[in-house]
Amino acid sequence: MTSVHADIDALKGLHEALVRYRHAQREVAGRGEEEIKVVRASLEAKASRRRAQLEQCQAEFGACQERAAQAAADSAAGGPAAGDDPVDCSGYARAVEQCGEQLEQIRRWQQRIDAEASEFGGTASRFGDLLENDLPRTEEHLLALIRSLEAARHVQAPGG
Amino acid sequence: MVTRPDRDGDQQLRLLDDAWDKASRHWHDGMARRFEGGHWTPLLRESRSYLEGLRKLMDMLEAAERDTEG
Repeated sequence: MTSVHADIDALKGLHEALVRYRHAQREVAGRGEEEIKVVRASLEAKASRRRAQLEQCQAEFGACQERAAQAAADSAAGGPAAGDDPVDCSGYARAVEQCGEQLEQIRRWQQRIDAEASEFGGTASRFGDLLENDLPRTEEHLLALIRSLEAARHVQAPGG
Repeated sequence: MVTRPDRDGDQQLRLLDDAWDKASRHWHDGMARRFEGGHWTPLLRESRSYLEGLRKLMDMLEAAERDTEG
C-alpha cells in the first residue's frame, strides 16, 4: 500500500511538464551553442576584413611617405617639386590608426567571448548532464510513484 | 521573430515551475518532501545557474555584434 497521498492527475501533469521541459531545454542549449558559433564566425569575418583594410591603409600610407620623401629630395635639389606644398600624409596615418583600433576592438571582443564561453562551458556541461541523466531519472521516479498510486487506488476501488 | 534562447529557456522554467506549484498543492506527504529536496530543488538550482550564464553570454554576443558593426 502506498503512502503517497497525491492527486494522480497533478503528478501526471508534473511528469508531462518535466518531459516537455527536457526537450525544450535541449533545444535551447543547442540554439545557445549555435549562437556562439555564429557570432564567433561573424567576428572572425569582420577581423579578416579589417586586416585587409589595415594592409591597404598601410600600403597607401607607405606610398604617401615615399612621395613625401621624393618631394623633399626634389625640393632640396631644386627639382620639379621645389616650391610646391609638402606632401601631407597625416590623413593616411590617421586611417592606419583607425583601422588598427577597429581591428584591436574586434580582437578584444573575441578574447572576452572566448573567456566567457569557457567559463560558461562548465555550467553548460552540468546542465547537459542534468538533461541527459538526472532529469530522465526524475521522470522515472515520478512515473513509479504514479504507478504505485494507481495500483493502490485500483486495489482500493472494489472496496470503495 | 526569433527570440533569444535564454529567454525561451526562462519561459520553459516558468512553465515547469507552474506545473510544480499545481502538483505540490495536491502532494504534501514525506515522498513529496523527498522529491522536492532530492529532485526538484537541484533541478531548479542547476537550471537557474545555466540560464543566468546563458543570458550573460547572449548579452555579450549582442554587444559584440553591435560594437563591431560598420
